[in-house]
Amino acid sequence: MFTRTDDKITTSQAVVFLTNTVLGAGILTMPRSITKAMQTPDAWIAILLGGLLIMPVILIMVKLCQQFPGQTIFQFSGRIIGHIPAKLVCLLLIFYFLVIGGFEIRVLAEVTLFFLLESTPMWAIVLPFIWAGTYLVSGGINAIARVYQVVFPITIFVLLLSYGVSLRLFDINHLRPVLGEGFLPIFAGLKSSILIYAGCEVVLTIVAFMQHPGQAVKAMLGGIAIPFGLYLLTAIVVIGGLSIDTVITSTWPTLDLIRSFEVTGFFVERLEFPLMVIWLMQMFCNFCSFFYQASLGISQLFKLSIQPVIFALVPVIFLSAMAAKSIQDIFAVGDAIGMMSIGLFLLVTVPLLLIWLLRKKGDQIHG
Amino acid sequence: MSTMIEYIPDWSTWGMAGIALLVPILGHLLYQKVYHFIGTGTHLHDAAPTTPSEPSSEAGNTFSGNYDKDLCYIQDKLGANSDVCFREFTLHQLGVRGTLLYVDGMQNDRLLQLKIMTFLMYEATAEKLASPSTDEAGLPFLQLQEASNLDGFNHAILFGHFGLLIEGMPIGLLIEQPDARNRPILEPLSEALLRGPRVGFTEILSENTSMLRRQGMSDQLEITSYRVGTRMQRDLVLAYMKDLVNPDLLKEVQTRIERMDMDFFAESGYVEQLIEDNYLSPFQQVQNTERPDRVINALMEGRVAILLDGTPFALIVPATFSMLLQSPEDYYERWLPSSLLRIMRFGAAFLALMAPALYISFISFHPGLIPTELAISIIETRQGVPFPSLIEVLILEVAIEILREAGIRLPKPIGPAMGIVGGLIIGDAAVQAGIVSPFLVIVVAVTAISSFSIPTYSAGITLRMLRFIGMVFAAVLGIFGTILFFLLLCSHLSKLKSFGVPYLTPITPFRMRDWKDLFFRAPLSLMKRRPAMMKTQQNKRKS
Repeated sequence: MFTRTDDKITTSQAVVFLTNTVLGAGILTMPRSITKAMQTPDAWIAILLGGLLIMPVILIMVKLCQQFPGQTIFQFSGRIIGHIPAKLVCLLLIFYFLVIGGFEIRVLAEVTLFFLLESTPMWAIVLPFIWAGTYLVSGGINAIARVYQVVFPITIFVLLLSYGVSLRLFDINHLRPVLGEGFLPIFAGLKSSILIYAGCEVVLTIVAFMQHPGQAVKAMLGGIAIPFGLYLLTAIVVIGGLSIDTVITSTWPTLDLIRSFEVTGFFVERLEFPLMVIWLMQMFCNFCSFFYQASLGISQLFKLSIQPVIFALVPVIFLSAMAAKSIQDIFAVGDAIGMMSIGLFLLVTVPLLLIWLLRKKGDQIHG
Repeated sequence: MSTMIEYIPDWSTWGMAGIALLVPILGHLLYQKVYHFIGTGTHLHDAAPTTPSEPSSEAGNTFSGNYDKDLCYIQDKLGANSDVCFREFTLHQLGVRGTLLYVDGMQNDRLLQLKIMTFLMYEATAEKLASPSTDEAGLPFLQLQEASNLDGFNHAILFGHFGLLIEGMPIGLLIEQPDARNRPILEPLSEALLRGPRVGFTEILSENTSMLRRQGMSDQLEITSYRVGTRMQRDLVLAYMKDLVNPDLLKEVQTRIERMDMDFFAESGYVEQLIEDNYLSPFQQVQNTERPDRVINALMEGRVAILLDGTPFALIVPATFSMLLQSPEDYYERWLPSSLLRIMRFGAAFLALMAPALYISFISFHPGLIPTELAISIIETRQGVPFPSLIEVLILEVAIEILREAGIRLPKPIGPAMGIVGGLIIGDAAVQAGIVSPFLVIVVAVTAISSFSIPTYSAGITLRMLRFIGMVFAAVLGIFGTILFFLLLCSHLSKLKSFGVPYLTPITPFRMRDWKDLFFRAPLSLMKRRPAMMKTQQNKRKS
């Protein structure tokens, strides 16, 4: 067929979709949140461990989805645990997506207000951003994945460039001693280091949209490996460049690192500007993912057409972004999202898979 | 519980949430309304007003065989036209009367006309006339058609054929194709190249198709013909490589051509606007060109070309974004310089689109983001300027656009003079008078020059238009607005399709194979396959 009518995404698009969903606010805040919990320079070990923990989680989600080819969790959960419980579970997931979507926008607005548009009212930043997202999300998963594919290479390029240039501040002594206080702080940081992968629940729906679901395992692991690598790099570069004392006291340590040096003889002397640009675009991608997931969930759960659902969710997202009162609230929400992410995995994915396996076994025995 | 209540937002936030809901819904409704409103003009009927042109046997008055009666009928229908000539004569061999009918100015070969007259008057015999189109005894004309009904005969005469009516014959003969004067073949005006063929299409369709044929010998180049226009008909042809083009694509193009409903097609722009996918998009989804070599290259990639009689602009479908920034020269020059030029063009397109928006956001919102010394020197030069940066940029941008528009209208000898007056004197005087800052003149000049470097004229117009929207975004929200503008543009482009091909292919959907002809132009020896996005029947370029 010359014209594709099915709304499927290619394997590379699926990889980028997951990457752009996970890679977001964490880039700017993660070094602080982990280091604060650990009080040692070993954040990178915590991230390494967190990454290793998240891989099997992703694997389990993919395996669960592959039992029901072409169906999202909103469609197949009913077949496992019955309609009413499934609705409850899915609503939980949708609520989670809405909260995290609002959270991303709020963080974006805070950073923009602080660095770019001082004394601008918050709604003036939030509203146009949501509307732009609405336009993209109305295009369906294919349009979203395509925008991600455009944004992704720019992000990677600028991110690696700024990290590369910031290596001039890098001091290996800032990262020492390794495991100076033993393994205990690592476990303290492990919680924060898993939180940065919040949002990986989109796996539960992306697999259904893949053109070649057989490659889902590879694609999803690849999709989580990219942010994993970037987060690891961020932690090493930021803590190595700033030392843990500065990192703990700074609100946006990564931006502070990039702001702290000048590249003379370059048109843009400080790389803070390109970093802000790609970060804003990245937040847009993040937000659109969650927005789309939430509207997809509601439309599939209640069998509504997706366009009105998208419109109806616009004010909900807006309220969820405006609800927090201070920056402390926002970080509290961020922590809560991380806990919800773990909770959802333990309460939704694992039971679903177990029940499915039991029922399958039962079917085989009873013939 | 009280903390819960504390976090419930106040009324103004709820109000804004309402606005947040209303704006996209209204926008969506407006879009749908406008889209359908315009759409009704395009697809009014399901019936096909455009027909593949075959020798039509439409009902009409047939020749009665009575010479006087037929001639009377023709004179009745055509006699009011002062440019239709009736030349009556006697065929001396047979002793019967005949009439030659033609439109003045449509046949220009005097020698040929003389020969025809000589033959008819003194040499034509009964048996030759009895079976005009058979081989042995037929009439010695290259082009010979028999018209069986009077109205078709009249049409053909008005279109430039020689009509011949002879006493005692129940048919009209059409001899010699129209041969009106044509301009010489010139170098294409809108797409000049340093290296490459210098021919451009002309207004005559048959000449244009022959130019395509002359590009090379292949029995696979197929040219099918249509009659378009409901009131005044015109010829339109589709050209494609039979063994390359994807049959589904071809069918889609044919359906859209057949669905066009318009009384007259003045230029191929009419066709373009009636067959494009999204008529609310600022981007063109059909490429137009005057270069036969560009058309043939597109055909070799599996695309389809549409040529209309009466215009030198051929259309190529489907078009993708990257095509707008490619020039045929990229392939004629060696690959390294070509790649460099192509990358430069992408940069220029970016500047043409974004430079004024970036200027506004840096100057008005974030002078801290540019190097301090640069910021200081720019702000120093802006000291006396009384306007905010948006107005300042608008003054100069609008002036440049007017200059450019004026430059097209002016006769050639005056054009450069106006460029000097407009560009140099006004620009300099505006700076001296303190209306704009000198740095802005640089920005606007760079923008204008960048937009000149875009090889497709119509793509340049799109970028010029979008530039102003970008400026408004930047004026409202600074760099945040500019990024939002960029993201909106990306969202739009990724939704857009041209005849089923996503507009941003091969960037996304990602097709590694086609990247060798995107920012870079890989060496020809590596271009072993046709573009994957076209899904051609045979994708190997080399055996």
